[in-house]
Amino acid sequence: MKILVCISNVPDTTTKIKFAEGNTSIDTSGIQWVINPWDELSLTRALELKDDALSGVKSVTVAHVGPAGSEPTIRKALAIGADDAVRVNYIAPDAYSVAAQLAEVIKKEGFDIVMCGIESSDFNGSAVGGMISEFLAIPSVSSVSGLKIEDGIPVLTREIDGGRESVKVPVPFVAVVQKGIAKEPRIASMRGIMTARTKPVRLYEPVAAESLTETARFEKPAPRAACKYIDPENPAQLIELLQNEAKVI
Amino acid sequence: MSVLVYTENWDGKFKKLSYELVSYASSVAEMLNMKVIALTIGKADDDELRILGNYGAARIINLVSDRLTVLDNQAYAKVIADYAQKEGSKVIVFSNNMTGKALAPRLSVRLKAGIGSGVSKLPLNLDPFTVYKRAYSGNAFAHVIIRSDIKILTLAQNSFEIIEKPTGAVPETAGIDVDGIPVNTTVTETRKQTGKILLTDADIVVSGGRGMKSPDNWAPLVELASLLNGATACSRPVSDEGWRPHEEHTGQTGKIIAPNLYMAFGISGATQHLAGISSSRFIVAINSDKDAPIFKAAQYGIIGDAMKVLPKLVDAVKKKI
Amino acid sequence: MTKQIVFAVALFLTFAVFFYTVNRLIKFFSFTKPAFPVKDFGKRFRLMMRVAFGQSKIFRRPVIGFFHALVFWGFCVILFGSIEMVIDGLAGTERVLHFLGPVYNFIIASGDIFAIVVAISISIFSIRRNFLHIKRFSGIEMKTRSHIDATISLTLILLLMISLIGMNAGYIGFKTLSGEPAFGIYPFSKFISSNFQASFTAGQYHLLYEICWWSHTLGIFIFANYLPYSKHFHVFMSVPNVFLSRLDPLGKLANMDNITREVRLMLDPNTAFTAASADVPVERFGIKDSDDATWKNYFDSLSCTECGRCTSVCPANITGKKLSPRKVMMDLRARMKEKGPLMIKNGKDFNDNRSLLRNFISEEELWACTTCNACAKECPININQPSLIVDMRRYLVLEEASAPGELKSVFNNIENNGAPWQYPAEDRLNWTRDLGFEVSVFSALPAGGAKPECLFWVGCAGAFDDRYKKVVRAFATILNKLNVSYAVLGKEETCTGDPARRAGNEMLYQMQALQVIEILKGYDIKKIITTCPHCYNIFKNEYPDLGGNYEVINYLQLIDRYIEEGRLKLNRKSLRNVSITFHDPCYLGRANDIYSEPRSIVGSLTDNFVEMKRHKSFALCCGAGGGQMFKEAEKGSKEIFIERTEEALAADANLVATACPFCMTMITDGLKYKNKEEEIKNLDIAELVVRAMEE
Repeated sequence: MKILVCISNVPDTTTKIKFAEGNTSIDTSGIQWVINPWDELSLTRALELKDDALSGVKSVTVAHVGPAGSEPTIRKALAIGADDAVRVNYIAPDAYSVAAQLAEVIKKEGFDIVMCGIESSDFNGSAVGGMISEFLAIPSVSSVSGLKIEDGIPVLTREIDGGRESVKVPVPFVAVVQKGIAKEPRIASMRGIMTARTKPVRLYEPVAAESLTETARFEKPAPRAACKYIDPENPAQLIELLQNEAKVI
Repeated sequence: MSVLVYTENWDGKFKKLSYELVSYASSVAEMLNMKVIALTIGKADDDELRILGNYGAARIINLVSDRLTVLDNQAYAKVIADYAQKEGSKVIVFSNNMTGKALAPRLSVRLKAGIGSGVSKLPLNLDPFTVYKRAYSGNAFAHVIIRSDIKILTLAQNSFEIIEKPTGAVPETAGIDVDGIPVNTTVTETRKQTGKILLTDADIVVSGGRGMKSPDNWAPLVELASLLNGATACSRPVSDEGWRPHEEHTGQTGKIIAPNLYMAFGISGATQHLAGISSSRFIVAINSDKDAPIFKAAQYGIIGDAMKVLPKLVDAVKKKI
Repeated sequence: MTKQIVFAVALFLTFAVFFYTVNRLIKFFSFTKPAFPVKDFGKRFRLMMRVAFGQSKIFRRPVIGFFHALVFWGFCVILFGSIEMVIDGLAGTERVLHFLGPVYNFIIASGDIFAIVVAISISIFSIRRNFLHIKRFSGIEMKTRSHIDATISLTLILLLMISLIGMNAGYIGFKTLSGEPAFGIYPFSKFISSNFQASFTAGQYHLLYEICWWSHTLGIFIFANYLPYSKHFHVFMSVPNVFLSRLDPLGKLANMDNITREVRLMLDPNTAFTAASADVPVERFGIKDSDDATWKNYFDSLSCTECGRCTSVCPANITGKKLSPRKVMMDLRARMKEKGPLMIKNGKDFNDNRSLLRNFISEEELWACTTCNACAKECPININQPSLIVDMRRYLVLEEASAPGELKSVFNNIENNGAPWQYPAEDRLNWTRDLGFEVSVFSALPAGGAKPECLFWVGCAGAFDDRYKKVVRAFATILNKLNVSYAVLGKEETCTGDPARRAGNEMLYQMQALQVIEILKGYDIKKIITTCPHCYNIFKNEYPDLGGNYEVINYLQLIDRYIEEGRLKLNRKSLRNVSITFHDPCYLGRANDIYSEPRSIVGSLTDNFVEMKRHKSFALCCGAGGGQMFKEAEKGSKEIFIERTEEALAADANLVATACPFCMTMITDGLKYKNKEEEIKNLDIAELVVRAMEE
C-alpha cells in the first residue's frame, strides 16, 4: 500500500504574526517555518504504519504545493522518515487551487491512502483534504483520530458528537485527520537527517487551475485586555460577564 | 435563488448550534433578499423540524433514505449539491463543526463554489462578497473575498446569536433517489461517551490548584463544572498529591487544552501550567495572591479566597440556568 | 630442590591461567571504541597518588572509609613480602630481600602489623555485610551471586592474613627457639608466638611456618586468578583506573565529532541538500551494546567493586526510581562477558539479538537520570557512570529518534523557537521593562562605538520564566550599580543547547552551539557572565570543543570578587539574623567545584548561615537536571524535589538561597507542596544581594 501525506509549510506557532504590504500578506522576515502540526502527526501515523511489517504499507510519500523556499520543510519530513517527496512548484492563492494541484499529482502517481491534516495553522481552512477527494471522486472520511490496518484493510476511527465510530471505506480514499491520529510527533533520527539529503524530491510544474477565493487583507485582533477584576464579595458579577460579555456560558 | 442551510440532526433532534446556524443563514438571506431553505438528511422529528421555522427558515426540507443512515461524505455532498442546484441556491451555509468540515469542501469542488471557512460575522460586503474569518490560529483575522457564483460559508461555533423570526414554515419530507450515488462508508462500531465530559473535548473547564488547600474542598468545584456542563482539571501538584486523578492534570507535562473558558481556582499560573492552557479563549483566575502570574494571562480575575468565592459562584450559576 | 620445582610449576600454572584471562580481556577490549588520548602524565600521576594511594574519595565516608584505607595500604605493604616469597620460592632462598637492611625491617614489620589490622578490618566488613542491614549492599542488581562473590573474597583475604600471621609467627617462633638470626621484625607475630613459646617446639614452629608459607603463596595464586572473575578485580584495576581517569570537569560531556561533521554540512547552505554523508560510514551513534562502549567505559566496569556508594547517593535511586548507577556498570561488564566470547567465536559482527540496551539496562532507568554527577563524584576509583548513561541516551535519540514525548516537544521547541518552552524570541527583552535603567543590547549599539567588555548571557529561563525574570532583573541591577561594562544579546539569544545535550540529542545541541558561536563571533565576544549554572557549564567546558573559547564568569564569582575587593558594599541590616541555607546547584558544585563563593556571599549577609545535611559535593540534586524539568518523573516512591525540600526544612532555616533557575523552580514548588511558602522564602543570591544593596 502507498500512503501520501500532504504537508503544508507554516510559521512556527510562537511566531509573532506581523503583516506587510498594507496588511495584505504576512511579513516573512525572521519566521521559522515548520511542517503544519496536524500534518506532522499525520506523517507520524503513516510512518508508524509503515514500520509495522504486518500493515502492508510499503511507502510513505509527502506532497507539498509551494515554492523552492519550502525545501527545508520537505527535507525535514524526509528526515523524519518519508521515503520520497513531491513538490508542485506553485504559490497557490487558495485551498481550491492547492487541492487541484495535488489531485493531479495523485492521479499521475496513484496512492491507496491520502492523508491530510484537518486544518493548517496559518489559514485554518479545513478545506484541502475534502476538496482533493471530490476532485478525484473518491471517498473521504473526516475528523479521523485513528487509522490502523487490520488484515490489509484500513480501519479508521472517526470522531462524532459525544463519541467515536470505527469506519471502513474502500481504497483509495482521503483521510482528513485531526489530533489523536498519533500520540506525539516523531523527531528525525540522525540517520534520517543524513539520508534526507539524498532522498528524491520530484518536481511538478502546476497545471492550470482557478482560484475561487482571495484574501483581501488581514487584521490584527484587538490587544488582549488586561485582566478585569471582579469584587470577591460579588462573584455573581463574574457569571454575568461570562454570559453576556464573553458569551462563553 | 435561495440561501441553503444544512442543519444536521442528531437522532432526529436539533441543537442550539442548529438555531444559531439558521439565524445566521436568515440574516445573510436578508442581506441578499433571498429566502432560507433549511435542509436536513436523516429522519427528524416533526416538532423538531418546525422549530427551525422560528429562526427564519422559509422552507424546511427533510430528505430521507434508508441507504443514508450514517455520514458518508461523498454521498451526502452529492445529495446536498444536487438539491442546491435544483433550488438555485447561491449561498450554502454549514456549521464549522465536524460535519461541516467534512461536507463543505466536497461541495466546493462539486459546485465550483468558494468557501469562507469558520466565518464569525455576517459578510462584510456583498460586492465583492467578503467574509471575516479567524486566521493564524487566532493571531489574526482575514477578510476573504469569494469570487465564485455560488458561495459556501461555514459558521464558527459560538459566534452568532439566535434571532427569533417565526415563519410558520411546514416541514417537507422527501425521499432521495440514491441510484448513482456512491455510498461506501461502513460504520462497524460506535462508542458513545457516557457520563463524564472528556477534558480535551470540553468547552468549559473548571480547574483547581494548591490554593484549594485540601482535596476535601473540591465538591463545589465539581458542582460548578457540572452546572456549566464542563470538565474538571487540576494543576500538577494537585495530581501529584493524589487529590485528583492523574488525567485531570493540565500543563506542560500533562494535558494541553484550549477550551472556550478555563476557570482556575487557587492556581498560581507557573510557566509549566500556563503552557497547557494559554490557548484557552477566556481564562478566569481566582487566587488570593494578587501577584500570581496567572492574572497576567487571565481576562477576568478575582483576588480572593477560592474557598469563599466558589460557593457564591455556584449559587450565581444556579440562578442563571 | 623439589620445593623449588613444585613452586615453579605452581607459579607457571598461575601465570598460564592468568595470561589466558588477560588475553581474553584484551580481546574484549579490542571490541570497544576509542575514548580519549591518554596524556598529561604528571597530572595523572598526582591524581593517582591522591585518589588511589591517598584513598581520598573513600574517605567521603570517614569511618568505614578509614578501615578500607587500612586494608588498601596493608595490601600495598604486604605486596612487598609476597614478591619476596615468589623469589624465595623460585630461588630456594629464605627471606632473600633482607639485604635491604633497615628498610627491609621496616617494611616487613609494617606488613606484620597490617596483617592483623587487615584481618580485623575484613572481619568488621564481614560482620557488617552479614549481620547489619546496609542498604547499599542490596538492590535488584545485587543477586545471590554478588553476595557469594563478596563472601568468597572476604574469606580468602582473611585466610591470607591468617596464613601470613601464622607464617610470621612460625618463622619468628622457630628462629627464636633454634637461636638462628631472624630476618625482619615481626611486632605482632612475635607477640603471638611468644604466648605459645612454651607449648611448641622449634620443629613445630617450622612446620607451622612451612604450612602457612605454602598456604599463603597458593592462596595468593588462587586469589590472583579468582579476582578477574570477581567484583574484587578492583584489586588490580583500581589504581590504573584512577590513572586513566577522565581529567575533564564532571560537568563536561565528550563531544561527538562524527555529529559535528554532519551539523556543519547542514548549516552550510551550499552543502545542506547535496553533500553526501560521511566518507567513512559511521558505525553507530551513541552506545547500544557493550561493543559500542569505549575502552574506558569497559575498564570502569571491570574496576567496579559493586560497593554501591554511587547508587546510595543517586537522587533517582534514593527516591525509588529504577536507575542504579552501579547496575549500569555491572550490566556493561555482564553483557561483555556474554557477548565477548560470542564475538571471539563468530566474528565482530555477530548478532545474538540481545543488547546492553533493553536486555540489561531499560529505557526507564536511562531516562530517570538527572545528570547530577553525584555517582561519579562518589566513586572511590573515579568511574564515570554519567558518560555511559548519556551515551546510551544519545543512541536512543540519534539512532532511534526515541525519547519521552515531553522531551521530543522540548527538542522541537529548541529547534523552532530557540527555547525549551514555546515562547518567541521577540519576547526575550521583556524582562528589561521598567527596570529604571537602560540595558544595552549588542545589536542596537552604534557601530564603531565603544564595545562593552562583557556579554551578560541571560538564558531562556531569565527571558521567559516569570519567577526567574526577577532574578536577572536583580542581577542587572547589581551590574548597573557596579558600573560593569556589559550588554545583552536580546532577541539574538537562543538556547545554548544544554537541555538537548543532557537528554542525548547531540545533533540539536551542536546545531544550537554552532549558531551561538557564530553570533558571538559576530560581536567579537570574549567574556561571558551568566547567572544560570547550566549555561555557565556549557560555555566554559563544552563550547571550546566546537571552537567557542571565552572567559566565562558565573555571577557568584563576580559578586564575590567585588565584595572582596570592597567595591560592593552590603548593608546587613535586614538579613543579619535571618537563618539562611544554601542549596548547591549540581552544575556549579560537583560539575565545576564552585562551593565557596556562594557561601562567602551569604556569609557577608547573615550571621546565621546553616548547612543542609547533604551539602557541597554531597548536595542532593533538586531533581530538575538531565531533562527532568521538562518531563514527568519516572515511576518512583517520591519526587526528588520533595526529598531535597524536606532536607532544607530540616536545616531549620528561614530562607533557602538558590543560584539556578531550575533549582529555584523545584525548591519553590517544594515549599508550596509542604505548605511552608508563607514562613520560608526561596530567594536567589542575586535577590538577596540587591536587598542588602538597597538599604
